[in-house]
Amino acid sequence: MLNVTTKRSEFLKEEYYSYTHKSGLPVYVFPKQLSTTYALFATRYGSIDSKFKLEGDKDFTVVPDGIAHYLEHKLFENPNGEDTFSRYAKYGASANAYTGNTMTAYLFSCTSNFKESLEILLDFVSTPYFTPETVEKEQGIIAQEIRMYDDHPFRRLYHMMLEAMYEKHNVRINVAGTVESISHITADILYECYRVFYNLSNMMLIVCGDVTVDEVNEVCDKVLKEQAPASIIREYPEEKAEVYKKRDEYAMQVAKPLFAIGVKDVDISDDPYMRMKKSATADILNDVLFGKAGDFFNKLYEEGLISGSLDAGYSICKSFAYNAMFGESSDPDEVFARFKACVEDAKKNGLCREDFERSKRALYAAMIKWFDSTDDIANNFLQFKLDDGDLLDYADILGGVTYEDVTALLHNAFKEEFYSLAIVKPLDTEVK
Amino acid sequence: MALIKKKIADGVSLNYLETDKFKTGYMSVNFIAPLDSATAAKNALIPSILLRGSVKYPNMAQINKKLDYLYAASLSSRCEKRGEIQIFGLTASMIDPAYTIDGENLPLEVTDMLADILFCPVTDGEAFNAAYTESEKTNLIDAINAKINNKAYYARMRCIEEMCKNERYGISETGTPEEVAACTAETVYAQYKYALKNYPVEIFFVGSCDIDALADKLTSLFDSIARTPMAIAETEIIKKAEAVKRIDEDMPVNQGKLNIGFRAGASIKDADYPAVMMFNEIFGGGVTSKLFMNVREKMSLCYYCSSAPDAPKGLIIVSSGIEVANREIAEKAIFDQLDAVKRGDFNEEEYESAKLGLINSYRELADSARGLEMWYLGRLLNGVPGDPDSVAASIERVTRDEIITAANRVSLDTVYFLNGTLKGEGEDA
Repeated sequence: MLNVTTKRSEFLKEEYYSYTHKSGLPVYVFPKQLSTTYALFATRYGSIDSKFKLEGDKDFTVVPDGIAHYLEHKLFENPNGEDTFSRYAKYGASANAYTGNTMTAYLFSCTSNFKESLEILLDFVSTPYFTPETVEKEQGIIAQEIRMYDDHPFRRLYHMMLEAMYEKHNVRINVAGTVESISHITADILYECYRVFYNLSNMMLIVCGDVTVDEVNEVCDKVLKEQAPASIIREYPEEKAEVYKKRDEYAMQVAKPLFAIGVKDVDISDDPYMRMKKSATADILNDVLFGKAGDFFNKLYEEGLISGSLDAGYSICKSFAYNAMFGESSDPDEVFARFKACVEDAKKNGLCREDFERSKRALYAAMIKWFDSTDDIANNFLQFKLDDGDLLDYADILGGVTYEDVTALLHNAFKEEFYSLAIVKPLDTEVK
Repeated sequence: MALIKKKIADGVSLNYLETDKFKTGYMSVNFIAPLDSATAAKNALIPSILLRGSVKYPNMAQINKKLDYLYAASLSSRCEKRGEIQIFGLTASMIDPAYTIDGENLPLEVTDMLADILFCPVTDGEAFNAAYTESEKTNLIDAINAKINNKAYYARMRCIEEMCKNERYGISETGTPEEVAACTAETVYAQYKYALKNYPVEIFFVGSCDIDALADKLTSLFDSIARTPMAIAETEIIKKAEAVKRIDEDMPVNQGKLNIGFRAGASIKDADYPAVMMFNEIFGGGVTSKLFMNVREKMSLCYYCSSAPDAPKGLIIVSSGIEVANREIAEKAIFDQLDAVKRGDFNEEEYESAKLGLINSYRELADSARGLEMWYLGRLLNGVPGDPDSVAASIERVTRDEIITAANRVSLDTVYFLNGTLKGEGEDA
């Protein structure tokens, strides 16, 4: 018998099952009565993991920037020369993969032949096959992906904000690397990264849809071999609390300046529950201060200082955390000044209790909307699990955040020395 | 899940897709206008101005506070083109009443709010509020100018614009910055009044609600308007391209964008359109298509190279991002793949994969309230009946010969190249 745990949220009227497959792989099955079944096979390995070793290894391995993403591309090749996408296509499934700062995920969605598709997913990710020729072939493709992002103003802005906030932390590294850095990638280094990070104990399988634990387990039994757990030692550079640069700008082909206001946060708890609580607290604080119902947004909008939307959000994981606000403005420095004034005013006069209650209620209700697609559920679930959190706990945690929690975060996290302003501005020749 | 249609007023219908599978209900009110440069900018401004404030909720802060109170319901503006039709209006989403504290009837409460915003704007005599109008004009002009920010999107749009220069389809759904600038609080308000009276209106609700109560409410709202609805505009379909147009545009960016516009030889209205869908899937639709497998995987020329059909207008547009120096090689590679499909040079596996992939996407459609609404609205605008299952069944019946016939009807119209003039990696940020 499998040792399956059930977790349920009465508020959300959702539940999921979890167990560890005998191979060592943690498995999560989230039942959902929809036509589409969505599966994610992910590893805790992303662009920030550039210096590492396994327990027992003599030396650390240092790898070129962008290798986790490169590996993601290369795993799609199979020893018999068959292309992974073509394998899926025989069963009508739609497949993809993505790499982030701390993770790499392989996924498919399907409306039939679930077991066949899951077998392909587990099989190709557990079968690395690289040759100098196949590695070489990918250089051109990924170089074009990098060039595409280089021309993408929001990608540029986001990356510039991270580079301004962090002096040494690997979150500065572009997920795809650079055209130069990826030219150093070889089949041997790819195998080494695979050996360290694609151990099943460092991975997880998430399936959301109209499926049972037994169906998932049957396929795991068929494909996965038992594996001794690995203990990975990752080394990251030390990072100071203050931002590296207060302001940075870059000129490229855009119509109007785009800005990002980053608030660096190095006060990160080791307890995943506390990280979730901080995230929920920050969500409420962002909504109270910068939300669409608030004064800050409405004044800027009415004065024409921002065009369209203003997005503020908080990200946290074990390794780094920051708050970020993105928008478009003819005068980003003025928006930044207003941002600082808004924060200081709230510190001095206190947050409005009524706004706090309204934001909390709205965010709590908005969580319901996260549970309408197997794609959203699986991906949100993954984001929480990667950081040892839990999607279903989040609603309760949000419901438990107090006015005092939000006020404390405002005072502790929102300080001038943690702010960076990044601007993507139009090329000089384009300025009117 | 069947589509239930109820008449609300002359040329106003409520389309109800009843389902209890979603926790979020989705609603839209769509005005169906002919795509016309005399009205495009004004129509595009209407929903944005309406969302600035109404009699009951006079500014955005009030509107958004009320939406928060309605359990994080949302209201958004919509403006898009489908063939030579401009759709504009409002969309809304709300959680299912089962998740509210007191079982509030959110579909009806959100409809009340939507109605207030739609029918009771802040006005100044026979004009919209001047400040709201001017500010939304600026925002719309900014949004039009910002289309250049996303180079892939921009290049595709420019390709279609050049291709359909002499057709109504070449008109932007937002109008031009000049047309927006020329709008006034008076002229947009007059157009709003005109729209309420004359444009067909299609209202959708996807989810579960008391449909009779919703229909009654909507009927009473449209009751006071003496409607004289026009017919839904027809889209001109050019089945075969004439001389090939070549457009090159320089831009200081790293990557070149090659976009190729074809006339498909058929549109969504044609009975044999499923063969065009199958052709496109094999040619460049997805990750097992000829464009992906050859231009990307075999030749390593690009990260993306794909083709997408524009069903109402009967176009197929290839989009790719390449090294500028590889332009000719890439262009030839794309045409080679088209020629291969024309010759029938595709195997059983490619044929089956295309079929299964398309059928899967129709089945997945059933899982998205917004996706369903968009899909049914598209069918309705073109007067083609059917549901995702019946269209999937028609895909199932397409034969190899029909695909080859469809491929041979495809004709090259426009080659658009966005020529990146930057050198090096641009890593100096």
